[in-house]
Amino acid sequence: MRIFLIGAGQVGFAVVEALHHDHEITVLDTEPLRLAALSERYDVVTVEGDGTSRRVLAAAGVKNADLVIACTSRDEVNLVAGMFARREARGATTVIRTSNVEYVELWRVGQLDVDFVVCSELETAHAISRIIGVPAARQTDIFAEGQVQIVEFDVEEGASQDVLGAPLRDARIPRDSKVAAVIRGEEMLLPGGDEVIRAGDRIVVIGSVEAAQAWSALLAPEGAAVRDVVIYGAGRVGSAIARVLIDQGIRVRLIEASREKAGEVAEALPQARVYNATGVDPDFLERERIGHANAAIFAMRDDAKNLYAASLAKVHGVKFTIGIAHEEVSVEAFEHAGIDVSVNPRAVTAEEIIRFAHDPRTKQVALLEGNRYEVIDVTLRDTSEYIGKAFKEMPVRGALIGAVVRNGTAIFPHGDDVLQQGDRVIVFTEAADAPRVVSAL
Amino acid sequence: MSSSRAVARQERPTPRLPVDVRATANLVAVLAKYLGVAALFPAVVALWYSEPVWPFLATGAITCGAGLAIERLTAEDVRRVGMREGFLVVSVTLLMTAAFASLPFLFVGGDQLGHPIDAYFEGMAGTTTTGASLVTDFDELTKSLSMWRQFTQWLGGMGIIILAVAVLPRLRVGGRQLMESELPGPEVAQLPERIRQTARLLWILYVGLTVVLTVALASLGWLGIDDRMTEFEALAHAFSTVSTGGFSTQANSIQPFSPAAQWIIALFMLVGGMNFVLLYRGTVSRRPSVFARDEEFRLYMALVFAASIALTIQIWGYDIVRSEEAVRAGVFQAVSVTTTTGFATEDFALWPVLSLMTIFALMFVGGSAGSTTGSIKVVRHLLVGRVLRRELAHTVSPEVVMPVRLNGAPVDERTLRAIAAFILLYIGFWVGGTAIIAIDSAIGNVPLGALDTLALSANALGNGGPGFGITGPFASFAPLGDVSKVTMILLMWLGRLEIIPVVVLLTRHYWRL
Repeated sequence: MRIFLIGAGQVGFAVVEALHHDHEITVLDTEPLRLAALSERYDVVTVEGDGTSRRVLAAAGVKNADLVIACTSRDEVNLVAGMFARREARGATTVIRTSNVEYVELWRVGQLDVDFVVCSELETAHAISRIIGVPAARQTDIFAEGQVQIVEFDVEEGASQDVLGAPLRDARIPRDSKVAAVIRGEEMLLPGGDEVIRAGDRIVVIGSVEAAQAWSALLAPEGAAVRDVVIYGAGRVGSAIARVLIDQGIRVRLIEASREKAGEVAEALPQARVYNATGVDPDFLERERIGHANAAIFAMRDDAKNLYAASLAKVHGVKFTIGIAHEEVSVEAFEHAGIDVSVNPRAVTAEEIIRFAHDPRTKQVALLEGNRYEVIDVTLRDTSEYIGKAFKEMPVRGALIGAVVRNGTAIFPHGDDVLQQGDRVIVFTEAADAPRVVSAL
Repeated sequence: MSSSRAVARQERPTPRLPVDVRATANLVAVLAKYLGVAALFPAVVALWYSEPVWPFLATGAITCGAGLAIERLTAEDVRRVGMREGFLVVSVTLLMTAAFASLPFLFVGGDQLGHPIDAYFEGMAGTTTTGASLVTDFDELTKSLSMWRQFTQWLGGMGIIILAVAVLPRLRVGGRQLMESELPGPEVAQLPERIRQTARLLWILYVGLTVVLTVALASLGWLGIDDRMTEFEALAHAFSTVSTGGFSTQANSIQPFSPAAQWIIALFMLVGGMNFVLLYRGTVSRRPSVFARDEEFRLYMALVFAASIALTIQIWGYDIVRSEEAVRAGVFQAVSVTTTTGFATEDFALWPVLSLMTIFALMFVGGSAGSTTGSIKVVRHLLVGRVLRRELAHTVSPEVVMPVRLNGAPVDERTLRAIAAFILLYIGFWVGGTAIIAIDSAIGNVPLGALDTLALSANALGNGGPGFGITGPFASFAPLGDVSKVTMILLMWLGRLEIIPVVVLLTRHYWRL
């Protein structure tokens, strides 16, 4: 596939990193330094120029593209570039990134002249709401219209004996779920029935939404359902998260240091309680019982502030902390410092955008552990050699089928189940193997 | 032409005042010029009943003539009246309208109303829809003068300036601020229509309601249900009800009329206490859901309902009257006092202390913003309650940010401060007025009780009407001394304009740069 990418920022980088193996990519950006850094690492064509100029777009060869992605950090640039690309490259799919939820709403009602709109803030908010739904999870993704959930857990000492220390075939794991992978140190295992889960492992579970919650209860028995969340920072990310959580019936408290922004968000979200405070004043934390919250989300602009506020919140008793890491390097720093989950909005955005570059048979892709593993939702080819085969007879070769979607309903297969024509399968694999796995199915 | 005008402007000395008094005088004079024409209505009534026509013709001639003369004198100052002049315009216009209303009383008021202070009191009580009357002998009033009393309330109810904004091309610009000063209630509901359109629909609805009520009351007479409800009485009481005024042609207010008439009047007093913009949307635009969604409307209805039940229980319990009569008396008095109308079907001045206290409390409620009622208004109570709740939350958590909302929309902090200022001033003027009336009554040996004095001042300021004791609903304000009457005139004036536009005129800041 020929991909034309406008914007070589963090999102652009992540998109290139995920797609450069299998696709021809042309990257357009106004900043030569960024382009140089990109071409040093990946085999892509780079063009220096302004994405809002139709002439520049035409000269860079946008009309040969199959997919045009506008992912600069500026909405207006993306909108204009997407619009021009649509005129220049008639057959291409255009995807633009935006940070304004209003554009997403306009696009949904067909008022924006592009094929897809990806909103970083909204995607981040949804990612966080999925994590909140499964408190023990490090990361979760939803597949098959919400019927299948992929969850990554850290297994700790306190986990239930139902899953710990016994071979998987004997362990009492929740119904309708499957352990897709065990990550032990640097090693990744696709577990058979003899595998034993140990404390310190990181596991990937594929299952129904209820099963994911059951796993969460097994692995973190003390972690009750999240009902009370504190969000630090009421900027665009913070307020998008607040809105999504409020819609789910979760009580939200927002802490915002800017008086003006606090006023705005208080007017926009009547159900939230808004404080105009820095959130690092110990008197305030004590008086408002911030430590009683089930979870705290740190969505301020500055990663350093997020890290400090999160540490302080931990000291005050918040059990579950989620940090928004605007810089990619912060993700590791956050985890190292004890923040339970960190989310990089640009990585989340890139992941959404990458989905459009896949084989038409693949519906959805999720990336785990940075970009090392992928979960793919793919429809079987009619000529696939696996049709009619029982699961227990299937060879294990670097991939594992966690769920089957048949006529729109998700099935969590057992050894005797057989794949049928037209089935969609949800497969876990290493990212490097993904193209091979997809073509084999 | 334009160059000569520029020269003329240069020649004029720099005005020393930041307020353009001449332009204000010009605008008020124009209003007077047109207002004078309204005197033709009682003149027609006088002709019909073969009564002297001259007092009304003279009233009209004097008002029109004075208006024309002042307009000519200030003709070179025809300029747009700005925000600063607005306060002066509305304040002076009300004084002018009250003077216009008082002229016939001055001419043919006789012993009852002929004294200038008495005539002006009656005129002010009419135009501010207070309904506090000095009349002691209703039989002595001519039919035309009686109708004039009722008519002045109707003119003042929806407001002269709103009428002017609706019809005078000159007020097409700059009319909004004038209108907001005259339309009761804080400026929380931004009127979506153009201001002229709004003024028109307010008046159309007002006239429409008056016509409907007149026909409804008159048909009681036609059907023989109520022999006393003639066409004359129907129109006279329709004027007084829709404007929530409270003057009656009868010494015993609404008591002489049939229960059916009392129920109908109670219903229209209740309607008069609603927000007319809301009323228009709900009925004329046929969107009845707006009533259920409006928080002020809900609270208004709830308060009236609760007050009706409280009074009914008391009346029945004290055995003043029983069964349907008790319910009717309870509802009627509750609606009448809450909407600051001042009609009565029972002499509540004779009721026990608990009932007096209930009625006294209701005097401070008022109807909705954008209605024809006086007093504090329900929406202010609602918002002050919410501000208090926020203050209490702030005491616990100083950092919490809580916008005060009305119907889901955040209310501007400036509006909230203005409401707090209004309520403080309201209480201040009420207490001050009480003190002056108490002192004057002590000097003049007027037999006023403590609650009577408090209610008197509250009623004048709230444009309510009758109070307790010797100023009860079936009595008259005539025994009061002149100082008390002048105090009440000032309180009525302040109350009708919701205090702030008038008090602004008393500040140094207004007159100095």
